[in-house]
Amino acid sequence: MIATHDAKGTRMAAARVGIGGPVGSGKTALVERLIPSLLARGIDLAVITNDLVTAEDAERIRRSGLIDPARVSAVEAGACPHTVIREDPSLNIEAADDLERRFPGVELILIESGGDNLASTFSRDLTDFWMFVIDVGGGDDIPRKRGPGVVRCDLLVINKTDLAPHVGVELAPMLAQALDVRDGRPVLLTNCRKGEGIDAVVSALERDVLFRA
Amino acid sequence: MLRLHGIVGHRDDPEVQSRLHHVEHHGGIEFLFVPPHEAGRKRFRLATDKGTDCAVSLERDEVLTDGALLFLAHGRAVIARFGEQAVWRLRPRDASAALGLGWHAGNLHWRVRFEGDVLVVLLDGPTDEYRARIAHLLAANLLEEITDV
Ligand SMILES: Nc1nc2c(ncn2[C@@H]2O[C@H](COP(=O)(O)OP(=O)(O)OP(=O)(O)O)[C@@H](O)[C@H]2O)c(=O)[nH]1
Ligand SMILES: [Mg+2]
Repeated sequence: MIATHDAKGTRMAAARVGIGGPVGSGKTALVERLIPSLLARGIDLAVITNDLVTAEDAERIRRSGLIDPARVSAVEAGACPHTVIREDPSLNIEAADDLERRFPGVELILIESGGDNLASTFSRDLTDFWMFVIDVGGGDDIPRKRGPGVVRCDLLVINKTDLAPHVGVELAPMLAQALDVRDGRPVLLTNCRKGEGIDAVVSALERDVLFRA
Repeated sequence: MLRLHGIVGHRDDPEVQSRLHHVEHHGGIEFLFVPPHEAGRKRFRLATDKGTDCAVSLERDEVLTDGALLFLAHGRAVIARFGEQAVWRLRPRDASAALGLGWHAGNLHWRVRFEGDVLVVLLDGPTDEYRARIAHLLAANLLEEITDV
């Protein structure tokens, strides 16, 4: 059967974007920076956070006043964080489906993974696009170690650029090595403390995920 | 940007085949080569072999398969293919061999590109099936097969 193609009339499910990375690299800080930027561009948004045994990050985002708290859902992994984003992402899929039911116009759902190691990746069943956030404080050798998270993600974010001088990291070679292990696929630098580099992340999402440009 | 949502058919569906045949005659078939490891994606942006920028999304329960039809309208079709485009490069020995090869390639509806004095055949199946079609030219040493570097 040939269905009629209708670019305007079809109601499409929200794009699901994963944010993974090591403990404390700045995943929640990135979410907190992305929310106002995305809302300012008129993007209908919701957030899911994953924590080990609490709803700590969800509570933090709900309290931030950046977004309607009802649009923030928490998933408690109960085990290694990667199990609920890769091996069995059903809890997160259910949370995303639930947000789509409650907010029918939602265009984008950000899914923050619990802090994990460099091997963590997202299942394609869960996310359409995923970012991996590492930080300068972890050392400039992180990209060289070719962790699957670093290599396979759709967008690698190197956060905490402001710390580079304090931890003896040179940003240019670190960026060059990251691009090298990723065969030139995108890498962006951010400073979530000051909000630097956030626009470039939003632009990447608008182009590759939301198809706005 | 061509915004595409959902799979509208498969190139092997009889109904699709007859419509594709018409589109093919007008050179309107475009292939979207999806790298094998990206097959599970439900949303992606990729250019077709003719350079059309496609923004594709699927329903959550849809699975992209090789040959899935993503667009068919206005004399144009977009079909998903998996893997990198395999090619077969042929250099004719002289002008008369080139005329012969060009004549066959055209009649066989092969998809081709020209690289100077080399004809690049974009393969949609095993090379041997293509080789068999012009076996006589190959046997007569009129063509040089160039291996990919
Ligand atoms: N200097 C600096 N500190 C940052 C930056 N981004 C985040 N931080 C700090 O780093 C710490 C961890 O940030 P979070 O956003 O909680 O990190 P996370 O990746 O969500 O952590 P988990 O969810 O626990 O894995 C906090 O104290 C942040 O204030 C940055 O760009 N520069
Ligand atoms: Mg966090």
